[in-house]
Amino acid sequence: MTSLVVLTVVDIVLLIAGLAFYLYWAGSLLNRIAANLEDSFESAAAILGHARLIGPGVGHINRTGGVVAGALPLLYGMAEEIVTDISPPAAAQPHVREAASESTAQPGYEPTQPASGHRRSRLLELVGFAMEG
Amino acid sequence: MRDLAVTSTEHTLWVSVIIVGFVVVLAVAALLSLLIYLVKIIDRRVVEVRDTLKAAAANTADTVLIPQVAEGVEAVLAEGLQHHLFLGRVLGKVKA
Repeated sequence: MTSLVVLTVVDIVLLIAGLAFYLYWAGSLLNRIAANLEDSFESAAAILGHARLIGPGVGHINRTGGVVAGALPLLYGMAEEIVTDISPPAAAQPHVREAASESTAQPGYEPTQPASGHRRSRLLELVGFAMEG
Repeated sequence: MRDLAVTSTEHTLWVSVIIVGFVVVLAVAALLSLLIYLVKIIDRRVVEVRDTLKAAAANTADTVLIPQVAEGVEAVLAEGLQHHLFLGRVLGKVKA
Protein backbone atom coordinates (compact mmCIF):
# COMPACT_ATOMS: atom_id res chain seq x y z
CA MET A 1 0.00 0.00 0.00
CA THR A 2 2.74 2.40 0.98
CA SER A 3 4.67 1.52 -2.13
CA LEU A 4 1.66 2.41 -4.24
CA VAL A 5 1.47 5.82 -2.65
CA VAL A 6 5.19 6.37 -3.09
CA LEU A 7 5.00 5.29 -6.72
CA THR A 8 2.09 7.64 -7.30
CA VAL A 9 3.99 10.52 -5.77
CA VAL A 10 7.08 9.64 -7.80
CA ASP A 11 4.94 9.52 -10.94
CA ILE A 12 3.50 12.96 -10.30
CA VAL A 13 6.86 14.43 -9.37
CA LEU A 14 8.46 12.97 -12.47
CA LEU A 15 5.74 14.45 -14.64
CA ILE A 16 6.04 17.90 -13.07
CA ALA A 17 9.86 17.83 -13.07
CA GLY A 18 9.99 16.65 -16.67
CA LEU A 19 7.58 19.32 -17.78
CA ALA A 20 9.50 22.00 -15.91
CA PHE A 21 12.85 20.89 -17.30
CA TYR A 22 11.70 20.69 -20.89
CA LEU A 23 9.72 23.92 -20.71
CA TYR A 24 12.73 25.72 -19.27
CA TRP A 25 14.90 24.29 -22.06
CA ALA A 26 12.40 25.24 -24.77
CA GLY A 27 11.98 28.67 -23.20
CA SER A 28 15.70 29.40 -23.28
CA LEU A 29 15.92 28.22 -26.89
CA LEU A 30 12.95 30.36 -27.87
CA ASN A 31 14.52 33.32 -26.11
CA ARG A 32 17.68 32.90 -28.18
CA ILE A 33 15.61 32.57 -31.34
CA ALA A 34 13.76 35.76 -30.47
CA ALA A 35 17.05 37.62 -30.02
CA ASN A 36 18.34 36.31 -33.34
CA LEU A 37 15.10 37.24 -35.07
CA GLU A 38 15.39 40.72 -33.64
CA ASP A 39 18.90 41.01 -35.10
CA SER A 40 17.56 39.72 -38.41
CA PHE A 41 14.79 42.28 -38.37
CA GLU A 42 17.28 45.07 -37.78
CA SER A 43 19.44 43.81 -40.65
CA ALA A 44 16.41 43.57 -42.93
CA ALA A 45 15.39 47.11 -41.99
CA ALA A 46 18.93 48.31 -42.78
CA ILE A 47 18.81 46.55 -46.16
CA LEU A 48 15.45 48.17 -46.84
CA GLY A 49 16.91 51.57 -46.02
CA HIS A 50 19.86 50.94 -48.31
CA ALA A 51 17.64 49.65 -51.10
CA ARG A 52 15.50 52.78 -50.99
CA LEU A 53 18.47 54.71 -52.40
CA ILE A 54 18.93 52.42 -55.39
CA GLY A 55 15.81 53.19 -57.40
CA PRO A 56 15.91 57.01 -57.44
CA GLY A 57 19.73 57.05 -57.71
CA VAL A 58 19.87 54.70 -60.68
CA GLY A 59 16.98 56.56 -62.34
CA HIS A 60 18.84 59.82 -61.86
CA ILE A 61 22.05 58.34 -63.30
CA ASN A 62 20.17 56.86 -66.25
CA ARG A 63 18.47 60.13 -67.12
CA THR A 64 21.63 62.19 -66.78
CA GLY A 65 23.75 59.59 -68.57
CA GLY A 66 21.25 59.51 -71.41
CA VAL A 67 21.43 63.27 -71.80
CA VAL A 68 25.24 63.15 -71.72
CA ALA A 69 25.34 60.34 -74.26
CA GLY A 70 22.98 62.27 -76.53
CA ALA A 71 24.92 65.49 -76.21
CA LEU A 72 28.41 64.12 -76.79
CA PRO A 73 27.94 63.53 -80.55
CA LEU A 74 26.94 67.19 -80.88
CA LEU A 75 30.17 68.16 -79.17
CA TYR A 76 32.15 65.85 -81.44
CA GLY A 77 30.47 67.35 -84.48
CA MET A 78 31.08 70.91 -83.43
CA ALA A 79 34.69 70.21 -82.48
CA GLU A 80 35.34 68.46 -85.77
CA GLU A 81 33.73 71.29 -87.67
CA ILE A 82 35.98 73.77 -85.89
CA VAL A 83 39.04 71.64 -86.58
CA THR A 84 38.11 71.43 -90.25
CA ASP A 85 37.45 75.16 -90.49
CA ILE A 86 40.61 76.37 -88.78
CA SER A 87 43.02 73.91 -90.39
CA PRO A 88 45.19 75.57 -93.00
CA PRO A 89 45.39 74.08 -96.48
CA ALA A 90 47.65 71.10 -96.95
CA ALA A 91 50.24 73.11 -98.80
CA ALA A 92 50.68 75.27 -95.72
CA GLN A 93 51.30 72.37 -93.38
CA PRO A 94 53.36 69.67 -95.08
CA HIS A 95 54.32 68.07 -91.78
CA VAL A 96 50.66 67.41 -91.03
CA ARG A 97 50.06 65.95 -94.43
CA GLU A 98 52.96 63.57 -93.92
CA ALA A 99 51.74 62.60 -90.47
CA ALA A 100 48.16 61.94 -91.56
CA SER A 101 47.52 58.38 -92.61
CA GLU A 102 46.37 57.63 -96.09
CA SER A 103 42.97 56.41 -94.92
CA THR A 104 42.13 59.72 -93.27
CA ALA A 105 43.70 62.00 -95.83
CA GLN A 106 41.27 64.03 -97.92
CA PRO A 107 42.23 65.02 -101.44
CA GLY A 108 43.40 68.58 -101.73
CA TYR A 109 42.69 69.51 -98.14
CA GLU A 110 44.04 67.66 -95.14
CA PRO A 111 42.87 69.14 -91.86
CA THR A 112 44.41 68.28 -88.55
CA GLN A 113 43.17 64.84 -87.65
CA PRO A 114 42.06 63.93 -84.14
CA ALA A 115 44.07 61.01 -82.80
CA SER A 116 40.92 59.07 -81.97
CA GLY A 117 39.52 59.34 -85.50
CA HIS A 118 36.29 60.86 -86.68
CA ARG A 119 33.03 60.80 -84.81
CA ARG A 120 31.39 58.67 -87.46
CA SER A 121 34.13 56.05 -87.33
CA ARG A 122 33.84 55.87 -83.54
CA LEU A 123 30.08 55.45 -83.73
CA LEU A 124 30.46 52.70 -86.30
CA GLU A 125 33.03 50.92 -84.18
CA LEU A 126 30.66 51.22 -81.28
CA VAL A 127 28.05 49.11 -83.07
CA GLY A 128 30.64 46.62 -84.29
CA PHE A 129 31.07 47.83 -87.85
CA ALA A 130 34.58 48.13 -89.25
CA MET A 131 35.17 50.01 -92.46
CA GLU A 132 37.60 48.38 -94.85
CA GLY A 133 40.30 50.28 -96.71
CA MET B 1 0.40 6.58 8.86
CA ARG B 2 -2.94 4.89 8.76
CA ASP B 3 -3.26 2.05 6.23
CA LEU B 4 -5.85 2.55 3.56
CA ALA B 5 -8.18 -0.32 3.04
CA VAL B 6 -8.43 -1.13 -0.65
CA THR B 7 -9.96 -4.03 -2.34
CA SER B 8 -8.10 -6.21 -4.80
CA THR B 9 -9.83 -4.55 -7.73
CA GLU B 10 -8.91 -1.10 -6.48
CA HIS B 11 -5.34 -2.21 -5.97
CA THR B 12 -5.17 -3.52 -9.50
CA LEU B 13 -6.67 -0.32 -10.85
CA TRP B 14 -4.23 1.77 -8.85
CA VAL B 15 -1.26 -0.18 -10.16
CA SER B 16 -2.64 0.15 -13.67
CA VAL B 17 -3.02 3.89 -13.24
CA ILE B 18 0.55 4.18 -11.96
CA ILE B 19 1.83 2.23 -14.97
CA VAL B 20 -0.23 4.38 -17.32
CA GLY B 21 1.14 7.44 -15.51
CA PHE B 22 4.72 6.34 -16.15
CA VAL B 23 3.87 5.68 -19.78
CA VAL B 24 2.36 9.16 -20.00
CA VAL B 25 5.49 10.65 -18.42
CA LEU B 26 7.64 8.84 -20.98
CA ALA B 27 5.36 9.94 -23.82
CA VAL B 28 5.47 13.56 -22.63
CA ALA B 29 9.26 13.38 -22.40
CA ALA B 30 9.46 11.95 -25.92
CA LEU B 31 7.15 14.60 -27.35
CA LEU B 32 8.97 17.39 -25.56
CA SER B 33 12.28 15.98 -26.83
CA LEU B 34 10.86 16.14 -30.35
CA LEU B 35 9.76 19.72 -29.68
CA ILE B 36 13.25 20.62 -28.48
CA TYR B 37 14.77 18.96 -31.55
CA LEU B 38 12.54 20.99 -33.86
CA VAL B 39 13.17 24.21 -31.94
CA LYS B 40 16.91 23.60 -32.24
CA ILE B 41 16.51 23.25 -36.01
CA ILE B 42 14.62 26.54 -36.04
CA ASP B 43 17.39 28.10 -33.95
CA ARG B 44 20.06 26.96 -36.42
CA ARG B 45 18.09 28.25 -39.41
CA VAL B 46 17.42 31.58 -37.71
CA VAL B 47 21.15 31.97 -37.05
CA GLU B 48 21.81 31.30 -40.76
CA VAL B 49 19.17 33.84 -41.75
CA ARG B 50 20.65 36.39 -39.35
CA ASP B 51 24.17 35.88 -40.71
CA THR B 52 22.93 36.09 -44.32
CA LEU B 53 21.04 39.28 -43.61
CA LYS B 54 24.08 40.77 -41.91
CA ALA B 55 26.23 39.97 -44.95
CA ALA B 56 23.57 41.40 -47.25
CA ALA B 57 23.36 44.55 -45.17
CA ALA B 58 27.14 44.92 -45.37
CA ASN B 59 26.93 44.60 -49.15
CA THR B 60 24.06 47.01 -49.62
CA ALA B 61 25.75 49.57 -47.36
CA ASP B 62 27.62 50.74 -50.46
CA THR B 63 24.38 51.94 -52.05
CA VAL B 64 24.93 55.27 -50.28
CA LEU B 65 27.46 55.89 -53.05
CA ILE B 66 24.75 55.83 -55.72
CA PRO B 67 23.46 59.35 -55.01
CA GLN B 68 27.07 60.58 -55.02
CA VAL B 69 27.60 58.93 -58.41
CA ALA B 70 24.41 60.56 -59.63
CA GLU B 71 25.73 63.93 -58.52
CA GLY B 72 29.01 63.19 -60.31
CA VAL B 73 27.22 62.35 -63.52
CA GLU B 74 25.19 65.51 -63.09
CA ALA B 75 28.46 67.45 -62.81
CA VAL B 76 29.71 65.79 -66.00
CA LEU B 77 26.52 66.89 -67.73
CA ALA B 78 26.94 70.44 -66.48
CA GLU B 79 30.53 70.47 -67.68
CA GLY B 80 29.42 69.08 -71.03
CA LEU B 81 26.89 71.86 -71.35
CA GLN B 82 29.65 74.39 -70.68
CA HIS B 83 31.71 72.76 -73.42
CA HIS B 84 28.71 72.91 -75.70
CA LEU B 85 28.26 76.61 -75.06
CA PHE B 86 31.96 77.24 -75.53
CA LEU B 87 32.12 75.30 -78.78
CA GLY B 88 29.00 77.06 -79.99
CA ARG B 89 30.61 80.44 -79.41
CA VAL B 90 33.91 79.38 -80.94
CA LEU B 91 32.23 77.78 -83.94
CA GLY B 92 30.32 80.98 -84.67
CA LYS B 93 33.51 83.02 -84.54
CA VAL B 94 35.43 80.52 -86.66
CA LYS B 95 32.75 80.50 -89.33
CA ALA B 96 32.60 84.26 -89.25
